[in-house]
Amino acid sequence: MGFYAVQSLNALSFSMLLLLTGLGLSVVLNLMNFVNLTHGSFFLLGAYVGVYWLASGAPWWLAFPVAFVAAGLAGFLLERFPFRQFYARTHLMQVLLTYGLSVIFADLMRWGFGAQILSAEIPEALRGVVFIMDMPFPIYRLFIIGFGAALAFALWFVIDRTIWGAVVRACVTDRGFVETLGLDTRRIFTAVLVISAGLGGISGALGAGILSAYPGLDEEVLILALIVVVAGGLGTFRGTVLSALLLGFAMTFSKVWVPEFSNVVALAVMAALLVALPEGLVARKVRQV
Amino acid sequence: MTERFPLSRRSFLATAGATAVTGAIGAPALAQTANKPLKIGMVTSLSGPFTALGESMRAGMQMFLAENGGKLAGRAVELIVEDDQAKPDEGVRKFRKLLGQDNVDIVSGVISSAVALAVRDVVTEAKALTFISAGSANDLARKAASPFVFRPTKTNWMLGHTAGQWAFEKLGKSGCLTIAADYAAGRESVSDFVASYQQQGGKVGKQLWAPLGTTDFGPLLTTIAAERPEFIFSFFAGSDAVRFLRQMREYRLHGKVKLIGSGALFDQEDVVSAVKEAALGGLNTCNQSPTAPSSAAFTKAYQAARNAMPGEMGTAGYVTGQVIKAAVERVQGDLSNKEKVKEALLAKEVETVFGPMPFDPRNNQAILDIYVNEIKEGAGGPVNQVIHTYKAVRDPGPVA
Repeated sequence: MGFYAVQSLNALSFSMLLLLTGLGLSVVLNLMNFVNLTHGSFFLLGAYVGVYWLASGAPWWLAFPVAFVAAGLAGFLLERFPFRQFYARTHLMQVLLTYGLSVIFADLMRWGFGAQILSAEIPEALRGVVFIMDMPFPIYRLFIIGFGAALAFALWFVIDRTIWGAVVRACVTDRGFVETLGLDTRRIFTAVLVISAGLGGISGALGAGILSAYPGLDEEVLILALIVVVAGGLGTFRGTVLSALLLGFAMTFSKVWVPEFSNVVALAVMAALLVALPEGLVARKVRQV
Repeated sequence: MTERFPLSRRSFLATAGATAVTGAIGAPALAQTANKPLKIGMVTSLSGPFTALGESMRAGMQMFLAENGGKLAGRAVELIVEDDQAKPDEGVRKFRKLLGQDNVDIVSGVISSAVALAVRDVVTEAKALTFISAGSANDLARKAASPFVFRPTKTNWMLGHTAGQWAFEKLGKSGCLTIAADYAAGRESVSDFVASYQQQGGKVGKQLWAPLGTTDFGPLLTTIAAERPEFIFSFFAGSDAVRFLRQMREYRLHGKVKLIGSGALFDQEDVVSAVKEAALGGLNTCNQSPTAPSSAAFTKAYQAARNAMPGEMGTAGYVTGQVIKAAVERVQGDLSNKEKVKEALLAKEVETVFGPMPFDPRNNQAILDIYVNEIKEGAGGPVNQVIHTYKAVRDPGPVA
C-alpha cells in the first residue's frame, strides 16, 4: 500500500517535470504555430544556472527566478533574430533552423560550462524525506510537485481566463485583425517566446536537483517534451497536462513492473495513443490553417 | 577535428632540421629513418555521451608526452587526435583516415567497446600496432583478440569477478540485489559478478535493469527500499552513475545499504567529483585508483594540471603513453619489424600508473592489479582509497 502510494508520488513528480518542460514547448507551438527545437537548450541553460546559483550560497529560492530570467533573456535575443524571420515559414524550415541552433548551443554550453557532469546542491530545507507508510519519499520531489502544479495553474489561468491570454490566442487565429485593433502583435509574440524560454529555464533549474546538468541533457529532455506535446494534442492546454501525467505514470510503473522493458512499454503506450487518437488526447476544435 | 600536440611541431621542425644537416654531411640512411617523427594516432570521444571521458583521456596522453619533452626513444612525437563520437562507424572512418591518410606508426585510444570491436578488423587487416586504452568488453580479450592489438586496460570480467569475491568475503553471503544499466557492459559486468559470487555459494536476490540514460531512478529506488537488501551490486557510468548515486541519497538509501560496483560507478574524475558526499562509503573494484602507490606522482601532476583527481580515463591516456614508450624504447625507436616490437613488449612487464603491467601472450591483454576502492573523505573531498589489492588478475582469455 505504502509502496504504491510512494510509486504514485514518484510518477507525479516526474510528470511535473515533463509538464513544465512540455508547457514551454507547447505554448510556442500552440499559440504561435512555431516549432522550437532549441527548447532543450533553454532547459539545459536553466539547469546550469540552477547548479551554479545553488552552489554559490545566495538564497536558494532565487535560483528559479534567476534561471527563468536567464533563459528568458536568451529567448528574447533569439526572438529578435532569427526566430522572428521564420514565423511565416513552413514547419520544416523552422525545424531546420531551430535544430541547427540547438546543436550550436550544445557546443557553446559545452565550451562554457565544460563537459563534466554537474549536480545541483539541493537546498538544506528541501533535503529531507517524508515517510509515507514506512516508505521514504524525498521532500524535494514534493516541492517539485507543488511548484509545478502552481506554475501550470498560473499559466493556464493567464492564457485561458485573462484578457492577455485572449489577445495572444486571437493573434494566432487572425494576426491582421488584432493589428487593426491597434495592438503590436510582434511584441505579443516576443512576450510569448520569452515566457516559453523562461519556462524551459525554470524547469531546468528544478530538474537539475534530480537530473544533474551535462551535455546531452538538452536532447534527452527535448524528446520527452515533444512526446508530451504531440501526444497531448496540438493546441490544447488540458491535453498537455493529461499526456504529461500519462507519460509520467507509464514510465514510472513500467519501471516498477517490467524494468527491463520500461522505455519500450512507456513509448508503446504513447504510440498506441497516437494511433487511436491521431489528433492527440484532447483535439482542438478550431480549423488548422 | 584534428589536433596536433603543441610541442611536437616545434620539436618536429628541430628534428627535421637536424636530419637535413646530418643528411647533408652523409649520415647513414638508417639513422635518418630513426630520426623521422613518430606519428601516434589517438581516437577518442570528443563529442557524444563520452565527451568528458574523451577529453580526460586526451589530456592524460598529452601530459605524458609533455613530460617526455615530446620525444620517445629519441624520436619527436606527433600526436594526431580524432573524435569517434562514440559511434562504431565513425570510429572505423577515423582509424582508416589515420592509417591510410596520415600514415601513423601507432594507433591508440578508444573508450567505447562497440568502437573497439568495430575497428578490430580494420587494424588487423592493416597489421597496425594498436593500443586500446579503454574498451572493456570481454570479447576484446577473447574472440576478438588480434596479434598486434595490445590492451593496456581491463576487461569487464576482471572487475565483476573480483567484486564477486570481495562481496562474498566481506559484505554478505546472501541478500544481494543487483541494479545495472541495460546494455552490453552492464549485462556483462553483472553476469560476471553473479557468476563469481554464486560460485562461492552466495545467493543473489532481485535483479533490476535500468535503460541507458535513465533520468528518474525514483521508481527503482522505491522498489529497492521495499526489498531491503543487505547490499547492492551496481553498474552505471557517467551521468547515469551520477543520477543513481544522488537519487540513492535523496531516497535515504545511501549509508543504509552497502553499495559495491564496477570502477565506472565511482570514477574519481567523472562521478565522485560530481556527486561528492553521496559517494562516501561506496565500494568499487577498478584497475585504477588515484591513491594506489603507483599513481602517487601522477595523481599530483594531474591535479596540478587539470585541477581534478584523475579518474580511469585520464590515467588510461597516460598509461597508454607509458606502454607505447616502453614498446618504442625496447626496439630503439625502430618499429619496422612489428614481430620484434611485440616480442619486446611481451618479454617484460611495464611499470605503469595502474601498477605493474605484464601482457598475456595469448591475447596481448594486460594482466592487472585490481584495487578494491572505498570512497572516503580526503583532503580535497571524497576520494577512492585503496583498501585491498587483488594481484595480477588475468582474464580467462580466448578459452573462456
